[in-house]
Amino acid sequence: MTPATSVRSAALGQAVPPARAGQAACPAPSVSERRLGAVGQAVPPARAGQAACPTPSVSERRLQPSGVFSGSLPCALVALALALPLLGADSATELGVAAFQQGRYTEARRLLQDALKGDPHDEHALTFLALAQVASGHCPEAVPSLTDRFNNSANPDLARLAGLALVQCAVAGGEIAKAVPLAVQLETRYPNDADALYQAARVHMRAFNDATRRMFEKTPASYRVNQLSAEIFETQNKFAEAAAEYRKAIEKNPRALNLHFRLGRAILLESHDPEALIVAQKEFEAELALNAEDAAAEFQIGQILNAGSKPDEALQRFQKALDLSPDFAEAALAVGRMRVQAKQYGDAIPLLEHVVALEPANEPAHYNLMLAYRNSGQMDKARREQQELQKLQHPPEGEFTDFLKRLGERTPDK
Amino acid sequence: MRVVAAVLAVALFAATQPGPDFRDIGKEAGLTASFPNGGEKSKEYIIETTGSGVAFIDYDNDGYLDIFVLSGDGGTNRMYHNDRNGHFTDVTAELGLTSSGWAEGVCAGDYDNDGYTDLFVTYWGQNRLYRNVNGKRFEDVTAKAHLTQDRVRYNTGCAFLDYDGDGHLDLFVANYLKFDFATTPKPGSNPYCFYRTMAVNCGPRGLPFETNLLYHNKGDGTFEDVSERSGIAKAEGHYSLAVLAQDVNDDGRPDIYVVGDQTPATLFINQGDGTFSEEAVMRGVAFDENGHELSGMGLASADYDGDGRLDIFRSDFSDERSLLYRNTGNGQFDDVTMAAGLAHNTRFVNWGCAFLDFENSGWKGLVVVNGHVFPEVDRQNIDIHYRDHALLYRNTGKGTFEDISERAGPAFLARHSARGLAIGDIDNDGTLEILANNQNEAPSLWKQSHRAAGHWLLLKLVGSRSNRSAIGARVAVAAGGRTQIDEVRSGGSYLSQNDLRLHFGLGSAERADSISVRWPSGAKTVLKDVAADRIVTIDEQL
Repeated sequence: MTPATSVRSAALGQAVPPARAGQAACPAPSVSERRLGAVGQAVPPARAGQAACPTPSVSERRLQPSGVFSGSLPCALVALALALPLLGADSATELGVAAFQQGRYTEARRLLQDALKGDPHDEHALTFLALAQVASGHCPEAVPSLTDRFNNSANPDLARLAGLALVQCAVAGGEIAKAVPLAVQLETRYPNDADALYQAARVHMRAFNDATRRMFEKTPASYRVNQLSAEIFETQNKFAEAAAEYRKAIEKNPRALNLHFRLGRAILLESHDPEALIVAQKEFEAELALNAEDAAAEFQIGQILNAGSKPDEALQRFQKALDLSPDFAEAALAVGRMRVQAKQYGDAIPLLEHVVALEPANEPAHYNLMLAYRNSGQMDKARREQQELQKLQHPPEGEFTDFLKRLGERTPDK
Repeated sequence: MRVVAAVLAVALFAATQPGPDFRDIGKEAGLTASFPNGGEKSKEYIIETTGSGVAFIDYDNDGYLDIFVLSGDGGTNRMYHNDRNGHFTDVTAELGLTSSGWAEGVCAGDYDNDGYTDLFVTYWGQNRLYRNVNGKRFEDVTAKAHLTQDRVRYNTGCAFLDYDGDGHLDLFVANYLKFDFATTPKPGSNPYCFYRTMAVNCGPRGLPFETNLLYHNKGDGTFEDVSERSGIAKAEGHYSLAVLAQDVNDDGRPDIYVVGDQTPATLFINQGDGTFSEEAVMRGVAFDENGHELSGMGLASADYDGDGRLDIFRSDFSDERSLLYRNTGNGQFDDVTMAAGLAHNTRFVNWGCAFLDFENSGWKGLVVVNGHVFPEVDRQNIDIHYRDHALLYRNTGKGTFEDISERAGPAFLARHSARGLAIGDIDNDGTLEILANNQNEAPSLWKQSHRAAGHWLLLKLVGSRSNRSAIGARVAVAAGGRTQIDEVRSGGSYLSQNDLRLHFGLGSAERADSISVRWPSGAKTVLKDVAADRIVTIDEQL
């Protein structure tokens, strides 16, 4: 995929939390929204069906309309600490930790301070004392100790707890600039940890919200405000509103790149009317007028022409997109598919093989390569591609994609 | 030279005839009863979304098509007798067809070869086989025929077919999923109970799959379940709806193609030994052109491009394309939806569909009825609607279709939440009518305000060594320099039954040079120099 395409393909796939409209950024992907991935409206295949963001439950979306932290800090810490086994702690430490876990923070602090008098280096006592300080609203007191635990503790569980508390303190103090690198560090050290990932997501969301608010406050007349509003509307499937915002942005800055492209795509996503194809095509052409080497815009025009039963013109556009960006998988796939339809298997097969090499998990590429082999009489190779496709559609148990797919599939109750 | 002349004649013919003008004559014809099918403003369960089918059958052998309409819970299926004067009379009670429950699909065939067309009706619940007793009444012989099911199943599409060539019609029944009111989650309960952020009824994703059924006709009035033995039940992981039973690979044996909701379609290739092999992916009919599964609702087949092979159209969900698969030979298919000009209507949930030559031009067009599954969608103020208009495509004769829905008469502007669709010629004038089942409304019966301009033939086939309904017979009509083919089919469209007679438009040709029939038994019949504009009965014994 070309850089240009990558930037654009992120548009539908990125998780953009609400900032302006104050609404849930990431509506739960329903079955029908999954169907949107198959829209006959020039949505590049790679963009279709991508999960926009983690799926919040209905109740979560209702409870957290603003996307800011919810729930009390102590509650969060208790929940985290409960999962931690006590290893080698003396009885005073045990009592302190137990008090902490029961929400008796003042008592926990006293007991843990007593424990530290006996052993100033007791890692559990040090960590839980800092956690109790955080839980009782004394972050500044706790931060030096938490920082030390996070950076130096030999116990990864304690370090993890300290890191999580540090992130929460930074967010609670409004120090998002400090929270972001901490969250990144936490995510790097604990890449499979749900709590670490959760805190990282929330920090990034908060950072986004804050940056957006500042943008709206400081540069309200900028075309970027309209552009960002449009992108947020897109994540909410409000494509008419998105298109309106893109139009305002274009009016303010007619020469800005990417606006016509995004407008064209919003138009396609807003309406099923065949007329929308014509309107959108004009926007993609306008984008090309600003950037004649925009492969993604060429590709979109090709998609529109193809849907409009103008295969010859479509092929020219797909080919141009591919010439501009030889590793543009969707364009290569489109050209390859049209070569198959024209029975030009000698041209089609290398192209499709190229796509599979570029993107081994590209299901459309494997499928079309299977058909190309089949139609050219290479049945062994066709069967091999069928098996590859089957593997991709039914990944081994345990993979995340498998988890997602199986979420919606239940085998017969025999 | 002859071909050139024929092409010129067709072009001239097309240029001089008026366009189609379909009008809904249902009310005047007596089709006034409304057929309940779940909620109108919202639907709490998926069972409310899928019903129901319709059928054109001539149950009393008077030569005129009667009408059978299925009902969801709260109503009865109804049979309407054709009074031959443009009016139909409700004869449900006197025929013994009064019913209750969630009827889904219908298919017709003379399973006992007594000369009267029988009916099979699928249900969420127990299916019913109605034996036609001399055209006077229908007897529910489900239990007697050993078709009682051991549990509640969500049966959907069905088709009679003689898969083993023994002259007795066997029966295929598609199954959607496992559903019951007690355990199915309520709207909004999980991510599969949302549509565009609205809480809606749950499924099909998240509900258990069900397997399809094949019943072998033992020839003594009973059937046996051969789903496992035949390999049909091996195909798991599908939410099956519509069925198309026909010979897709031209080996003389009927195959079975089934589309499913949000799952790959299945194509069961008849191995000739009582078993089937599922080959949809490699044959190119499981997915769209990207290898993605769609939500298949309805099915239709015709040789749309005149190359002597039967192609397949499948109707799909909104935000998907309905697909046209071109048969490239040997039962292999290519997705030619875009090239054929069928890619642009993506806002509809398509259901019943049929190829039909509404102008008798010799080229079969395409009709599709629509209506969303979620009435709640109307609250969104988008261009997807619960009730929507139907689509009519004209076949240009050049491998493409033209959408003429907005100029095909008022019937194509009316909005319904339609499901089943069937085509047939109710007045035997050679111009086809369209019947559709509309949820919670009276059915639509669409008739053109003028007769189609071209010449035509309507062929009624009667089997003797083959099954009496001649289901599976392949017919080729040579006229005007072209040869058209078709096959007698049970079931099809969306859970519906078309006229078992085959209709051929002949354009400007006043005679057919020949009519060739390949019977399911393998026998062949050829008629020469047949005058057009008539119904021709072809008996296998002749």
